[in-house]
Amino acid sequence: MEQSGWSQMGDVAIRLENVTKSFDGASGAAVDNLSLDIENGSIIALLGPSGCGKTTTLRMINRLIEPTSGKIEINGVDVMSQSPQELRRGIGYVIQQVGLFPHRTIASNIATVPKMLGWDKSRSAERVEELTTLVGLDHEMLDRYPDELSGGQQQRVGVARALAADPPVLLMDEPFGAVDPIVRGRLQDELLALQTQVSKTIVLVTHDVDEALRVADKIALMNVGGVIEQLATPDELMRAPANDFVRSFVGEDRGLRRLALNAVSALRFHQGPVVSADATFDEAEHAMALEGSDWLGITIDEIFAGWARADDVRAARANGTELRDVERFEPIAQVEPTSTLRAAMELIMSSNSSVAVINDGGRFGGVITLEDIRRALSSADIETADGTA
Amino acid sequence: MSSAPIPSLIAEATNPIIRWEWVVEEWDQVWDAIVEHLILTMLAMLMGLVVSAILAAIALRFRWTMTPITATTSLIYTLPSVALFALLAPVFGNLSRWTAVLPLAAYTLLILVTNIVAGFQAVPASVRDAADGMGMSPMRRVWSVDLPLAVPYILTGIRIAAVSTVGLVTVAAIIGQGGLGRLIFSGLRRAFWTPMTVGASLSIALALVIDALIILVGLWLVPWQRRRKAATR
Amino acid sequence: MIGAMAAARPSQTAVPRDIGFFEWFFDPDTWTGPDGILASLVDTVVLCAAVTLVAVAVSVPTAALLAHLRRAEVSSTWLVSISRAVPTFAIAALLVPWSLERGWGFEPWPIFIALFLLAVVPIYLNTYTAIRQQPEGTVEAARALGYSERSILTKVEFALASSLILAGIRVAAIQVVATEPIRAFLGGDGLGRYVRDGFGQNNNTLVIGGIVLIGGLAALTGLTFVALERLVLPNGVRRLARQQGDKTP
Repeated sequence: MEQSGWSQMGDVAIRLENVTKSFDGASGAAVDNLSLDIENGSIIALLGPSGCGKTTTLRMINRLIEPTSGKIEINGVDVMSQSPQELRRGIGYVIQQVGLFPHRTIASNIATVPKMLGWDKSRSAERVEELTTLVGLDHEMLDRYPDELSGGQQQRVGVARALAADPPVLLMDEPFGAVDPIVRGRLQDELLALQTQVSKTIVLVTHDVDEALRVADKIALMNVGGVIEQLATPDELMRAPANDFVRSFVGEDRGLRRLALNAVSALRFHQGPVVSADATFDEAEHAMALEGSDWLGITIDEIFAGWARADDVRAARANGTELRDVERFEPIAQVEPTSTLRAAMELIMSSNSSVAVINDGGRFGGVITLEDIRRALSSADIETADGTA
Repeated sequence: MSSAPIPSLIAEATNPIIRWEWVVEEWDQVWDAIVEHLILTMLAMLMGLVVSAILAAIALRFRWTMTPITATTSLIYTLPSVALFALLAPVFGNLSRWTAVLPLAAYTLLILVTNIVAGFQAVPASVRDAADGMGMSPMRRVWSVDLPLAVPYILTGIRIAAVSTVGLVTVAAIIGQGGLGRLIFSGLRRAFWTPMTVGASLSIALALVIDALIILVGLWLVPWQRRRKAATR
Repeated sequence: MIGAMAAARPSQTAVPRDIGFFEWFFDPDTWTGPDGILASLVDTVVLCAAVTLVAVAVSVPTAALLAHLRRAEVSSTWLVSISRAVPTFAIAALLVPWSLERGWGFEPWPIFIALFLLAVVPIYLNTYTAIRQQPEGTVEAARALGYSERSILTKVEFALASSLILAGIRVAAIQVVATEPIRAFLGGDGLGRYVRDGFGQNNNTLVIGGIVLIGGLAALTGLTFVALERLVLPNGVRRLARQQGDKTP
């Protein structure tokens, strides 16, 4: 996966410098002296409770709201240096209720900005087809009208419409809030998949911690007045909350949430009470003793072949049976390197065993115990679920 | 009730409700009446639309004016038509079309203003926001987004206004302007029922035809409301 | 025969052409007598009241029943669309020959029926809407408490709906009063006669008098109903109706 956020480190796509917004008649500023740099090609989540100014901040980037003071630059260019319309045509904008034009077909909706920019018909049509495939929409939908589509489909169109003119920046305001959790999860995954293909700078406003954790490269946790309480990667936010506000916003189950963020592959290899079928009985005894385990795992040609009871092993030794012929039981708890730690823990707890076997494409990849998981979470250097550090 | 029917008139009532030969003979007269009726209706509608559009624009831009505008137009609406026509007769004179068109237009204001304003207010805020966010200039947005979405409401207003105007045009006959209303009166004056029946039924028919026509125009202009929502995920 | 009809109408007012308005208006003779203002006023009021009462008697129970049973939605919607379009004059004119044919004369049936149709629409619509739009919760709660269906209709739904219904009756009454003057042009009398005779005799005083009387009565009707509503309805109900969006003018 292209790690665009890091290969162009220091490449700032959006810069907010001392941005303040006060509304007439309101007591405090909605956004007070906010400064933030957003890296090119990254997804940043503006996360916070309602009223914290995250939407206001977003809407200042494309000047739907004009800042009272401060400067905003996109790719080094001051947003005030163009007309608002020109600016917005170069920025994708996706909102919660989607806002598709009911009186135009899906195809026509998607082609809105290209049409405004004067693209010729064939180029527009081609682009519409391209985007429809990209967002995973059935091409049949193109001639339909918005009210014929489900919520999830509508939002896909919304995203396609925002990307039509291939803007470098995408602004999203609670884009998946209006659909049910199953569809929401799907759309979030698709956004991540999309990002690997198009690599945009995405600013996502959300009040949903899980959404931010799942989708964002960086999270800006905001408090009332547009104050950034912490700017960090999802894992960092969970592992080391900066203050009480962050702690309470993120929730008591930070540890559990981190489990969902990290994969089995992040753990160091742990052999466990497992030996090859060709090993000696001494080696087998040694492995079991080391782990304090009543079971022995046996691999044959590097493939995990099952668990054997300690008593059965000793009995076999006593009456001269081969190690490889001892009765074995199928492992119930198996995970893959890409499984989350949470899934592994779930499996261990529900399958009444204390270890899970890692099945790395058929080969034995080590074991996991609850202790392994706990130890990993408390260490500072852990890789995130998608492999980036 | 006061005026007792005159015996001679009752005798005359053997006069059939409608004598078709008359219709054929006097078709020119009937046709002129229809055309005149249509002209008055269209002039009144046009004037009403122009004024209503202006008032609606004001009401949409300056929210506080909505109440006084609604109050005034409804007050006008409740003015008795006979009184209003009679009032304006000496002003423009009986021979001018405007004596009738002005009050007729005034009666359309309430429904037209109400519906135009409602139409624009019905444009979902999210659609407007999305349009602005994509870089549409305000003018462009009003023209290509707000207006098409307001059309169903506006057309309903036009439909109701047109149909009720057709009905009111007949009353304008009391001041000598009135298309089919004049047929009614000429029949009444002569105790000859055919023109009366013809005038009255044609004005009702005209109203129904205009109603149907506008509905058809609506269906043609608003294809996106014709389709039903699919239940796919 | 034509001349006979014109001349034999007993309702013609004999007034000198150049009399001033105030002179005419404040002359007691103008008010008294079978052709006087009072008589015409009574004539008009009686007709309008009768029409309104019959319209109420017919529309309110029908609408209430249909709304409570949740029936007839489509026809009610259709009624909304033609609600302002009843061509009263044309209908009345059409009914005149029919009425004469049956020996009933020019009055009262043509104008009565035409005005009745006019009045029915707002009364029916408001009653239907008022009862149909009752929040389901209120009705369900009443049912759960053990009210009989009839009790629900009368005690719960009706009380809440009364404001809208009364507003509908007000609209109907005003429209009837405002439209009634056409009767004078269809062989009848009432307050419209002054405008009719004023035109016929080219007498502006009569015309102005007619306008004043007609307009005055319409205004009076409106005010009467507003006062009536204020008296009859408890404050809470009126506030509730306004919240529910009583948009009748």
